Amino acid sequence: MELAKKWIKVTVNGEPRELLIKPNITLLDLLRDYLGLTGAKMACISNSCGACTVILDGMAVKSCSVLAMQAEGSEVLTVEGLAEGDKLHPLQQAFINHAAFQCGFCTPGKLMSAKALLDENPQPTEEELKRDMEGNLCRCTGYKKYIEAIMDVAQHPVKYSAKEG
Amino acid sequence: MAEYRVVGKGIPRKDGIEKVTGEAKYTFDVTLPGMLYAKILRSVQAHARIVNIDTSEAEKLPGVRAVITGKDTQGMKFGFVDTPRYPAEQPVIAEEKVRFIGESVAAVAAVDEDTANKALDLIEVEYEPIPATFDPEEAMKEGAPQIHGEQVPAPGRKCAWQDWGVARAARSYNPVNNIGAAVNISYGDSEKGFSEADYIRDDTWVIPRTNHACMEPHGAVASYHPLTGHLDLWLSHMGFELKRYWISKTLEIPISKLRVHKTFIGGAFGGKAQVFDHEIIAAFLSRKLGKPVKLILPRDEVFTSTNNSIALKVNVRKGVKKDGTIVAQHVKLISDMGAYRGSVPVCLFLCHSMRDSIYNIPNLTHEGVGVYTNKSTTMAKRGHGSQQMTTAIESQMDWIAEDLGLNPVEFRLKNLRKKGDVLANRDTLNSFGLPDCVKKAVEASNWKEKRGKLGPGHGIGLAVSSMFNGSGYWPFTAGSIVRMNHDGTVTLYMGQAEFGQGPTTTTCQLVAEELGLEVEDVNLIDGDSELCQFDYNNFLSGGMFVSCKACLVAAQDLRQQVLKVAAEMLEEDAEDLNMLERRVYIKEDPEEGVAFDEILRYSIQKHGGDPLIGKGFCKPVPEIEFYPSLSKGSGRWTDAYSFTAAVAEVSVDAETGRTKVEHIWVGDDCGREINPLICEGQLQSQAVMGMGDALFEDVMFSEGRTINANFVDYEIPRAFDIPEITIIDASDPDPNGPFGAKEIGECARAAVIGSIVNAVYDATKVKVDSLPLHPEKIFRGLQEKAKV
Ligand code: FES
Ligand code: FES
Repeated sequence: MELAKKWIKVTVNGEPRELLIKPNITLLDLLRDYLGLTGAKMACISNSCGACTVILDGMAVKSCSVLAMQAEGSEVLTVEGLAEGDKLHPLQQAFINHAAFQCGFCTPGKLMSAKALLDENPQPTEEELKRDMEGNLCRCTGYKKYIEAIMDVAQHPVKYSAKEG
Repeated sequence: MAEYRVVGKGIPRKDGIEKVTGEAKYTFDVTLPGMLYAKILRSVQAHARIVNIDTSEAEKLPGVRAVITGKDTQGMKFGFVDTPRYPAEQPVIAEEKVRFIGESVAAVAAVDEDTANKALDLIEVEYEPIPATFDPEEAMKEGAPQIHGEQVPAPGRKCAWQDWGVARAARSYNPVNNIGAAVNISYGDSEKGFSEADYIRDDTWVIPRTNHACMEPHGAVASYHPLTGHLDLWLSHMGFELKRYWISKTLEIPISKLRVHKTFIGGAFGGKAQVFDHEIIAAFLSRKLGKPVKLILPRDEVFTSTNNSIALKVNVRKGVKKDGTIVAQHVKLISDMGAYRGSVPVCLFLCHSMRDSIYNIPNLTHEGVGVYTNKSTTMAKRGHGSQQMTTAIESQMDWIAEDLGLNPVEFRLKNLRKKGDVLANRDTLNSFGLPDCVKKAVEASNWKEKRGKLGPGHGIGLAVSSMFNGSGYWPFTAGSIVRMNHDGTVTLYMGQAEFGQGPTTTTCQLVAEELGLEVEDVNLIDGDSELCQFDYNNFLSGGMFVSCKACLVAAQDLRQQVLKVAAEMLEEDAEDLNMLERRVYIKEDPEEGVAFDEILRYSIQKHGGDPLIGKGFCKPVPEIEFYPSLSKGSGRWTDAYSFTAAVAEVSVDAETGRTKVEHIWVGDDCGREINPLICEGQLQSQAVMGMGDALFEDVMFSEGRTINANFVDYEIPRAFDIPEITIIDASDPDPNGPFGAKEIGECARAAVIGSIVNAVYDATKVKVDSLPLHPEKIFRGLQEKAKV
């Protein structure tokens, strides 16, 4: 049985969108298949890798495990919305400076988790950071460099808000 | 030591912007107009005859465009190995029988994934189960179920090695007792060696399958153009050559009509080297339907249906003199191969080769078999064979040292090979940083103050490992082009695949160094089989030593051309000129010079339009045409070896048996580090991956069914698990490497595993004989000890 499609209103990366969707799709499907925002990745579809992490009303969520309809009336931020024009977000810049990625597949999810964390707790301890990022798997980096990158942003906000990054 | 401007600098990666903005397009992100979605029905039986497959209901489902079974792909076989001795034996879709749970049985293409999944549910497969066998030692016994039958007929087609120029054809063969691969290597006289030994030790380890667990699941997008006969492919791979060769071969599409497009690749670690059924199926369906087809594997199928690392039982017998001189070693391997060979024939050889460059062992025998079982296939994983052997041998080294009252560091140093040594197969150790790796790692870790002195529950361990630097494999060469651009920058065409290991940056560093440019001045076209040159590619451990070197050679060629034209313009000798910042200048008078863009214009005007294009190539082990004999281990294999010594410090909780790794020191010889930032990343990566291998990674089976095919039940290290990691450069630049560089990507993992195993022993004195070091094993061992 095909479910009747439903309208959803959602703001994605600052742009209000109105879309007719199948009500059973996930937020990840909405972003990737309806909006062409392929930054959020799928590595498990079972809420266990964090590759699909986006920010929903200020909270990092695993978009593979959230129904699109749950985002009705909400604000969604994806990795595509992090940079402003020609200026990378401090976390993006720090990831580049520290070579905090290798294959890059987990990177969008990590950036979004890190942003949500720093928005809430701008000066986390390394311990807090590692706990918080436990749900973001990475097979390539051994985690070291991206923890350094995020700590660098937390500890040197001024350096990263400067124009050159 | 020569000083370089760009080489040796921790320059930020060139693929950074795409990767931090989400612009990087992986196979899974590719969408084409009119694209269909494919799914594969997998066998639920470990060993069964297929009596009937009824696809009629699935075909009737609205939105379904095609349903195919083994009847459609009849006779198409693929494999990582396809030699006269070991012809590829895996069907694209199971034909008369299934041999493992997870094997492909049918496939569907539909308008969307939901419809394709629904269609799979409507396919009725009638199986007639056959007794199965899951344990290699059972499978080798008389009367065990024969997984490939008594006599496997000759394939009725050319095997890959014939296509590549080897004169022998594959014959019919008989996999007696399910043995599908064998290796038997020896040199010296083992019997004599053991008879001269004062002390002999015999140990056996069982190393399980682990998963590569690349974050990007395997997948393919295929688009066949029915009018031109061209097939465009987007794949998650470790090099386009092998994939396009196999897809061309199985589907009988001319190789020049296949194009593998550049994609970003979300990790590989050996597990994406071979061609897979799903890739051939996507291409098959696309050709059948004349539409683009996307087929992405869900995570559980990555575990059950692609491949895991190689499971081995390793028995090592070693003869030693009282003073600690090793005189003989006899290794016996049994690999639980799975239903098809995968890369086991190669691995059995590499188990020897990966260790042969380390210790000087005058009398050596190395034998092994790969045994078919009703499980999924197994494949190279980051240090193919090295971690299995290193675990067994390096733990035994510690136990021998303990038995003989030797210092484990001195015992190792005493038996190490020497720079300049020529191995039995004539490979030469032109560089050998291993002694330095050991010394530096031991010193940095404060080993002397810690070994045996940390108190109960705390320990420190050392292990060493090596890796080869590229070997012969089709197309046996890497080629490259560097062309001059209008503004004096250059564009580099590189065939290598970037899957995280960093060649898109390091290659540009080599080229920039050679041409006096900055990395930003090098535009890169990579990973596209149509735009780039032949590249024998990364999965045979030659990314830097062979493929990147080809790019350097192309830059050297361009440099000579540029200098020649500049010499003409400046009326100077080319030897008196140098280049920097997009210009050539006179060494004696740096103010005098000509810019690259002027040189290009001059060349075009005065040299018949010559636009200055540099060409380079590099062949692994140039003096041999093809391949050595792997089964006998004779013949040259590689031009250099890289080395690692790792020290681990652990604490073990006596109440639970749980190990915590506190600190890992990695002393590494990767020749000259081209980019220390990337090198560090590679080593940190292997330290953490090795920790997972040592402590918890294990693909578990019950009656052939993978029981932990997801990231909840199959744990990989998480951010919170990671120890302190100290990286120590102990490089010995190799005369044949680009600027002295060697490989780095897969050496350290094995040493790290070995060092953790030895540290846990130091902490507990519990002898474990299988990986991973699950808390139960340690806990039980501690209990036993307490009883005594
Ligand atoms: S894809 Fe969402 S958590 Fe893995
Ligand atoms: S960078 Fe590859 S998984 Fe994290």
